[in-house]
Amino acid sequence: MNMLSNTETGFADLLKNGQTLSQFRGDVIERTNTTGYYNGLEKLELRERDPIGYEKLFSKLRGGLVHARETAKKIAASPIVEQEGELCFTLYNAIGDCVLTSTGIIIHVGTMGAAIKYMIENNWEANPGIAPGDMFTNNDCAIGNVHPCDIATIVPIFHEGRLIGWVGGVTHVIDTGAVTPGSMSTGQTSRFGDGYMITCRKTGVNDTPLRDWLHESQRSVRTPKYWILDEKTRIAGCHMIRELVEEVIAADGIESYEKFCYEVIEEGRRGLMMRIKDMTIPGVYRKVAFVDVPYAHEDIGVSSKFAKLDSIMHSPCKMTIKQDGKWRLDFEGASRWGWHTFNAHQVAFTSGMWVMMCQTLVPTQRINDGAYFATEFRLPKGTWCNPDDRRTGHAYAWHFLVSGWSALWRGLSQAYFSRGYLEEVNAGNANTSNWLQGGGINQDGEIHAVNSFEASSCGTGACAVKDGLNHAAAIWNPEGDMGDIEIWEMAEPLLYLGRNVKANSGGYGKYRGGCGFETLRMVWNSQDWSMFFMGNGYMNSDWGLMGGYPSATGYRFEAHNTGLERRIANGEAIPLGADLDPGLHTYEQSIDATSLVKRDKQCMTTEDCYANHDLYLNYLRGGPGFGDPLDRDVKSIEKDLNELFLLPEFAAKVYAAVVTQNAKGVYTVDAAKTAARRAEFRKERIARSVPTREWMKEERARIISKHASTPVQHMFATSFALSEVFKNEFKTFWNLPADWDVLETELGVPSYGSKFRMDLSLMPDVRTIVQVEE
Amino acid sequence: MTIENSSVQVLGIDAGGTMTDTFFVRADGRFVVGKAQSNPEDESLAIYNSSVDALAHWGREVDDVYPELVTCVYSGTAMLNRVLQRKGLDVGLICNKGFEQVHSMGRALQSYLGYALEDRIHLNTHRYDAPLVPISRTRGVTERTDVQGKIVIPLRVEEVRQATRELVEAGSKAIVICLLQSHKNEDSEKLARDACKEELKKLGADIPVFASVDYYPQRKESHRMNTTILEAYGAEPSRATLKLVSDRFKKHGAKFDLRVMATHGGTISWKAKELARTIVSGPIGGVIGSKMLGEALGDENIACSDIGGTSFDVALITKGSFAIKSDPDMARLVLSLPLVAMDSVGAGAGSFVRIDPYSKSIKLGPDSAGYRVGTCWPESGLETVSVSDCHVVLGYLNPNNFLGGLIKLDVQRARDHIKAQIADPLGLSVEDAAAGVIELLDLTLSEYLRANISARGYNPTEFTCFSYGGAGPVHTYGYTAGVGFKDVVVPAWAAGFSAFGCACADFEYRYDKSVDLAVPQHGTDAAKIAACKVLQEAWAELASKVVEEFIINGYKAEDVLLIPGYKMQYTGQLNDLEIISPITNAATAADWDKIVEAFETTYGRVYANSARSPELGNSATGAIMRGTVVTQKPVLPEDPDGGPTPPAEAFLGTRPFYRHKKWVDAKLYKMELLKAGNHIVGPAIIESDATTFVVPNGFETTVDKHRLFHLKEVK
Repeated sequence: MNMLSNTETGFADLLKNGQTLSQFRGDVIERTNTTGYYNGLEKLELRERDPIGYEKLFSKLRGGLVHARETAKKIAASPIVEQEGELCFTLYNAIGDCVLTSTGIIIHVGTMGAAIKYMIENNWEANPGIAPGDMFTNNDCAIGNVHPCDIATIVPIFHEGRLIGWVGGVTHVIDTGAVTPGSMSTGQTSRFGDGYMITCRKTGVNDTPLRDWLHESQRSVRTPKYWILDEKTRIAGCHMIRELVEEVIAADGIESYEKFCYEVIEEGRRGLMMRIKDMTIPGVYRKVAFVDVPYAHEDIGVSSKFAKLDSIMHSPCKMTIKQDGKWRLDFEGASRWGWHTFNAHQVAFTSGMWVMMCQTLVPTQRINDGAYFATEFRLPKGTWCNPDDRRTGHAYAWHFLVSGWSALWRGLSQAYFSRGYLEEVNAGNANTSNWLQGGGINQDGEIHAVNSFEASSCGTGACAVKDGLNHAAAIWNPEGDMGDIEIWEMAEPLLYLGRNVKANSGGYGKYRGGCGFETLRMVWNSQDWSMFFMGNGYMNSDWGLMGGYPSATGYRFEAHNTGLERRIANGEAIPLGADLDPGLHTYEQSIDATSLVKRDKQCMTTEDCYANHDLYLNYLRGGPGFGDPLDRDVKSIEKDLNELFLLPEFAAKVYAAVVTQNAKGVYTVDAAKTAARRAEFRKERIARSVPTREWMKEERARIISKHASTPVQHMFATSFALSEVFKNEFKTFWNLPADWDVLETELGVPSYGSKFRMDLSLMPDVRTIVQVEE
Repeated sequence: MTIENSSVQVLGIDAGGTMTDTFFVRADGRFVVGKAQSNPEDESLAIYNSSVDALAHWGREVDDVYPELVTCVYSGTAMLNRVLQRKGLDVGLICNKGFEQVHSMGRALQSYLGYALEDRIHLNTHRYDAPLVPISRTRGVTERTDVQGKIVIPLRVEEVRQATRELVEAGSKAIVICLLQSHKNEDSEKLARDACKEELKKLGADIPVFASVDYYPQRKESHRMNTTILEAYGAEPSRATLKLVSDRFKKHGAKFDLRVMATHGGTISWKAKELARTIVSGPIGGVIGSKMLGEALGDENIACSDIGGTSFDVALITKGSFAIKSDPDMARLVLSLPLVAMDSVGAGAGSFVRIDPYSKSIKLGPDSAGYRVGTCWPESGLETVSVSDCHVVLGYLNPNNFLGGLIKLDVQRARDHIKAQIADPLGLSVEDAAAGVIELLDLTLSEYLRANISARGYNPTEFTCFSYGGAGPVHTYGYTAGVGFKDVVVPAWAAGFSAFGCACADFEYRYDKSVDLAVPQHGTDAAKIAACKVLQEAWAELASKVVEEFIINGYKAEDVLLIPGYKMQYTGQLNDLEIISPITNAATAADWDKIVEAFETTYGRVYANSARSPELGNSATGAIMRGTVVTQKPVLPEDPDGGPTPPAEAFLGTRPFYRHKKWVDAKLYKMELLKAGNHIVGPAIIESDATTFVVPNGFETTVDKHRLFHLKEVK
């Protein structure tokens, strides 16, 4: 008959207990909420009865996950996966809560969990059905994915016909067929330009991908070769892990395995609470982060006029650490989502945060959804981190997600410092990005897209006992690495003309932030080529701590019609190496005077054409500093000067160092003279200062007269419109008149979307998963 | 059979940081081990002292034995230590202009290389080591070659001369030249090299020049540059050390040519051009020794497992050959050397044991008690429980015969520490806690071993497991139980196995070269023939380098057995597989098909057949040439059968031994006194001065004629 069979339309009894997955999940949530323990597990029976056996299970499963990732990643062709390790495998229990995860970008613990929960709550078990050997694919940002380029393959695990869990694998693909090339593009303003979007689709049966899926998906993206090998990577890893689970069950029994899958989450919950209790001091920590959205500029070419708007995104965070070690992260007052690609789903936030936390608060292999259960999140609906409209674009959600997290890192560092864990302090760490992206026809004559992961080596924030690390890590990846030039030149039709530490980019301080680095590229051997910039420009996302400076702000440098072809042939001067002092415009002195040069602070652009011999500077901004720069040791200043990490002008201006240079160019800092100069410097500071109350009076007057740029006003207007609480706090703090307000309508900027919005949950037959307080 | 006047043929040397071991083997397979304190100032003296110690067992003299030796292989940590301590030569570096900071920046991953998993994510622990060459002795020259080998910006030669003058002025004792993409087109770098040499001549400066293309013409500049620098920085000083060693041997009448164990698993002459590849040698010895034993036993698939105090090293020999990693890291540097693929997990017999304060779980390592054994040795000053403490408490180790009775262990002290630190917090008895620690460690090791085998597409039932290292035989049963190995073998000389293995290594040179040959799935015959031509040319070039090395050592070209290989991947992939070539000469389209077929078979096994992607076409990425000559290797002992019952004098009594929640009396045997054919059923403990072999209930072991113990689970 040409219709679905009973089992397909009806109740599948996958758990063999008479419950649907949704009913079973509901019970677990119920037990968790009423008891305060995950699944009501006040007692960890398996663990207490047999602590050694429990550890053995842990060790087997975790070891297997890590190993599967290491093996599978070698299949990939994309340097993002293979060199940068942008892949992760995670094991879930039957209701999609994470049991254990591999190494890698562990943000996906929650994102794939959210996809599983979406399938559970939307009755996938009835239609399209969930059977052994099935594969599901998801990258839908409206149900929890961070950005569309993270493609997840999810495989159910059955034991004797009963669903007992899931395994998910995710890779960051190089292109998703968005409006513009690259995995995290900026040219679109909504979901409908974000590229190929797959909602928990069944893409394989009997362990084999379906042909319609293979055909459709490969032609939906620009880089099918990378796409298909990434898919094979994910499938191979998932199957290795499923096999591992089968072996573990054969050896230790299904009962122990299933018990473990719940107890380990409760253990993870307790583990996080113990760490918080041990390392921090209870109280309320308030921090904030901002990022600029400079979309009015002519180099932002988008299809919608209402998106052409300079704005600022706002992430105020109230971190409350409780005495029992639980904590609450409240983002009341966050600004509204916008017509750009920097919006984030709530799960991207709640899950993604652990990618940062496991670098500092919980650097352990024992991270799973327990950490989520030990944390209370409040992400108000309608904000950039919990949009209330199904049209939002998410391709570069990371842009502000990680900036928002830098505030958390500062808050935690303050807590560590108070508790005496100076070594754990990090002044905010780094997402001081530029993402070099683009595409076109490459050196092999193929349609291509690029996405340079040099951005994984920003330079880290300073610690309270040492400088930050130069050109290492990013807030989203402690194991960042800039990779080899000779590998990137295989992937990109761009010839390197320099790779150097970026002087002055580490935030100044008693301990300075790590410096970023820069690479100068010349377009080479391409046939048609486009690129764009995507980085922090006017604003810093990480600010430094206790007197430390932020890392450098951004700028862009690009040059066209450079005359380099002729200049190389004639042996004339050509730009090579560092843009040591951007104020001096040294590159411009080695290219034709008639070149078209863009050197400004517009660090966000959309796809623009580049010809061979054009130039592009990819520059990472470094990490923030810690402590008063006047306390910096003079030998360290001297060393920084001689290694070209610091320009002499700033040694004098910021560090008050008295510097001399000998005939060979070697710098020396005079300790005695510096001490004297610093004493003067301190006096000058005092002379410049005004009492806080005086300063606040002046500021208040400016607030009342709305003496602020439009982007600042726009940011507050969207925050106020979403939160009376935040508006009242603001007004009370500044003692503003009762009728004072800032409205979008008075700013004379596009406000499309400010009044009427429609959430995904309003679509027929859709049950969205809410995992935060809204 | 023992021949009283048998000549001594082979000497293996393992010059470690604290002790220098020598391993002498006679023509009848009998061996002696000597030990002496290492002497970093003059290694030759330590080797001499160690030799005296060893030969005393046979009542013989150095001056009388050295002239008899036909083979001597050195392995040691001197170069590694020189690099780790940054005590190498003052090297100057010439690179592309605009890239002067590339070496000192290093790769960001070097900030966490060598870290345990948890520290790799714990950001504030990361740190860089000082660069081998400071920025003050680095100069850039204008040049750029592209990824396809086309020169985009020609070398400005005058800048090379200027750079050379400045580097000499800055005190450089050697100059390294490494230009981007020179592995693809060597012209610019060779031009720079020749200009540099000319300028040095003009200056009258007699310092060596190392161009990366002459040493390691392989893709990935950070690896290639580090390795070439290492050659100048660490290897040249090491050559001086080896010359001292060689001279002392000669002084005592030696006629052999000293060879050094190298990372690719062969030995090379101390005069070899590329000495950087001797930076790591000791651990490789075990793999080579296993390979030779495997050949003797007829086992072609071997899982080599070496358990030391701090780590557990695993290597696989499949179909009689071991895998090679071509861009490994050592001394926290990414390198471009062929290295016998070994995987290590940071848990060993001396690992510290702690309860994680947050999760209340047992944590093993990553740090270890090392030579301080554990809290059971009161003089150690240690307060933290180690795995050895658990072994002592449970009767695995003899507290009165540790290191042959050199130190006495205090069982009660270990018990007290285990109780307070592990047992009480977990609510277990001391015995169960200690047994739990051991079970957990053994499980970690066995899972690691299994994962390594399955990751290469094999099943443990196809493998024989060799277990060695001083602490290996204590754990052998634990990490092999249930894995399903075909056979488990513990050599009686497990503690000296690395030195033995070095002595077993072939005299072998290996050279690698990057190539870029892509042929689509249904490529034309012309395309296949063209690809074969390039590969064949690369083989020929490498073969001449290999032969040249042997000629330096007095061999003739026809003495050299050449073994070609290649690296291949699906076009576009970033990881290749190394394949021993099924053909010795590549010329025809059919030859190319054979090359591809061998790759497909290997790929399907390693990554599962579903991951195969023949539709992408195949790329050969590297040409490999190995060459060996025949050398004398250690002969295995051939003992007469002494029957299943151990001789009475081997039986030492019994000792209480705890496992599986109960105490039993384990029979004790003296390893040296057991005879070939002896069969021992657990619980038993077989002791020698340097190692303890544990055979618990449910296991049995038999000694074979080569003095190898075969361990079996009794079902």
